[in-house]
Amino acid sequence: MGDPALSLVAVEKRYGDTAAVAGLTLDVAEGEFVTLLGPSGCGKTTTLGLIAGFLPLSAGDIRLKGRSVIGLPPFRRDIGVVFQDYALFPHMTAEENVAFGLKMRKVAKAETASRVAAALDLVKLRGLGARRPHELSGGQRQRVALARALVIRPQILLLDEPLSNLDLKLREEMRVEIAELQRALAITTVFVTHDQSEALVMSDRIAVMNAGRVEQVGRSTEIYERPASRFVAEFIGRMNLFPARIRAGAAGLRVVTARGVTLALALPGGIVEPVAVHIAVRPERACVLRKAPAADWLAERGRIEQVLYLGAAHEIRLALEDGLRATVEVTNTGAPLGLEPGMTVWFAAPPEACLVLPAHQ
Amino acid sequence: MKAGPSPAWILLRVCVGAVYLFMLGPILITATVSFNASNRSVFPPQGFSLRWWARALSWEWLDPLLFSLKLATLAGLAATLLALPLAFALVRHRFRGRDILVALTLGPLLLPALVTGVGLLQLFQYAGLRDLIGLPALIVGHVVICLPFAVRTIAISLQGMPPNLENAAASLGAPPWRTQANVVLPLVKNGIVAGAVFAFIHSFTDVNLSLFLVRPGEIPINIKILGFLEFGFAPTLAAVSVLTIIIPLVVVAAVQRMTGLGDFLYAERGHG
Repeated sequence: MGDPALSLVAVEKRYGDTAAVAGLTLDVAEGEFVTLLGPSGCGKTTTLGLIAGFLPLSAGDIRLKGRSVIGLPPFRRDIGVVFQDYALFPHMTAEENVAFGLKMRKVAKAETASRVAAALDLVKLRGLGARRPHELSGGQRQRVALARALVIRPQILLLDEPLSNLDLKLREEMRVEIAELQRALAITTVFVTHDQSEALVMSDRIAVMNAGRVEQVGRSTEIYERPASRFVAEFIGRMNLFPARIRAGAAGLRVVTARGVTLALALPGGIVEPVAVHIAVRPERACVLRKAPAADWLAERGRIEQVLYLGAAHEIRLALEDGLRATVEVTNTGAPLGLEPGMTVWFAAPPEACLVLPAHQ
Repeated sequence: MKAGPSPAWILLRVCVGAVYLFMLGPILITATVSFNASNRSVFPPQGFSLRWWARALSWEWLDPLLFSLKLATLAGLAATLLALPLAFALVRHRFRGRDILVALTLGPLLLPALVTGVGLLQLFQYAGLRDLIGLPALIVGHVVICLPFAVRTIAISLQGMPPNLENAAASLGAPPWRTQANVVLPLVKNGIVAGAVFAFIHSFTDVNLSLFLVRPGEIPINIKILGFLEFGFAPTLAAVSVLTIIIPLVVVAAVQRMTGLGDFLYAERGHG
């Protein structure tokens, strides 16, 4: 194995006193699909602009296959970009848009024609090559943009929220389609989105960004099942959080809940006594019980406030006795739920559903 | 029961009607008078004659007309060529002195052209450039007063460009000059043409500024008309006036035909 296809080394981008990207380090392997996921303003699109060369770096280094691209203008970087607004050239047909990159590379006419046709086939746009962008639907424009970026066979493909302008149904189709295309072509891809389900479905790895930094990098399952911080836990999916403390006892470190119940939970590395933590439970991993569960479970008494019918699931919202709120999601099995607002119940989670997160970063 | 049009609607119609009346009325009257058989300019015309048109098409009037065309073409082209880099700089870049440049470029819009004309005349005299009075001075003056129109139209078409097009071109391997030639220029072409047309017409119709910078033999048509008016309004003038109205119209129509100014390039936006 040689150098990674793309390395970001302590990358920084400052505007005056504010840092849009504040020391970002990330390696992307050849053929890998990595997603930069974060809320708007977290610096993910700026990072993409830095990789593509549209913006100059303030500090750090960006390397393609080990070679620094600092100072290299975008037109020499060999990076394909799909923009959020597609940025198709409005005065050119779909074909001419796709052919643009080949024309710039002085590819011969016959080869250009066959590669453009192949690229349009690839994105299922055969027969629409003669249309102008304004004659195409949002989804079709998206495909032209993708074909235009792929046809030049770039070292790296950058996708900047390419699905956010599409309606839900199309978005879900394109997710799978883009991911399949990426795998078929084995093209190294960096995908930017604020949509966690997009990230979970499409990515080999996700880098969760917050305030210009990477909070956690990992496979979808790692990010969802073992978030490293409260930010990641709450940004990806939903999370119930219960304040707790770590205490040392005869049997080693134990988690003590706010009500004084001691639980034997798996602890993340580096946790020392005494420290404030959160016990985190996903809504779909918890359950609502009418009587107290086993002693080694996390259990909080409360009252049902709302029962929402979501179709595939029921969402039960609880007001707990210590003033906290919690949410439980119960799969709709068809059997009657038997839970009504106003009932006094237990919020319960088995130890394996409980995560311990540091309360302060 | 069907309600009649509301008073506001009637008022609007009356206003629009009045605008058309006062805009087109004088032109129609002038046009009719030019075919008058009488020696005096009377309306409605008495009889029909083409003799005023024969006079209007003599060299006495064609010379200043051709001079005006030459002046407007040169000044319009020069103003557009100057406006192009100016508009790019003003739209794309934030630099020190930008506000001053904006004020200088658009200033002539706010200043009466009469004042600009007097000022230019004095400038040429004090700078010892008296010999340039005539066509060269007129071109300079007209470029100054036409520039704002060209800069504004080009700037607007630049601002209307989707933001990422140039980045997209660059990522596809286009060096800056190719991006400008293959992407930016085609998209702002209509703005440039419209700017040039505005500049041409503004120059062609100017009186105030030209008044001070003419010299015998180098007189735009409007100044010639103004001079002639001192002796009263002859039907010849009516014919000449119609000519000066038709020429800009023909220019606009021709340019529109050739470039498709009506083409709405950005129909793409709005679909979302």
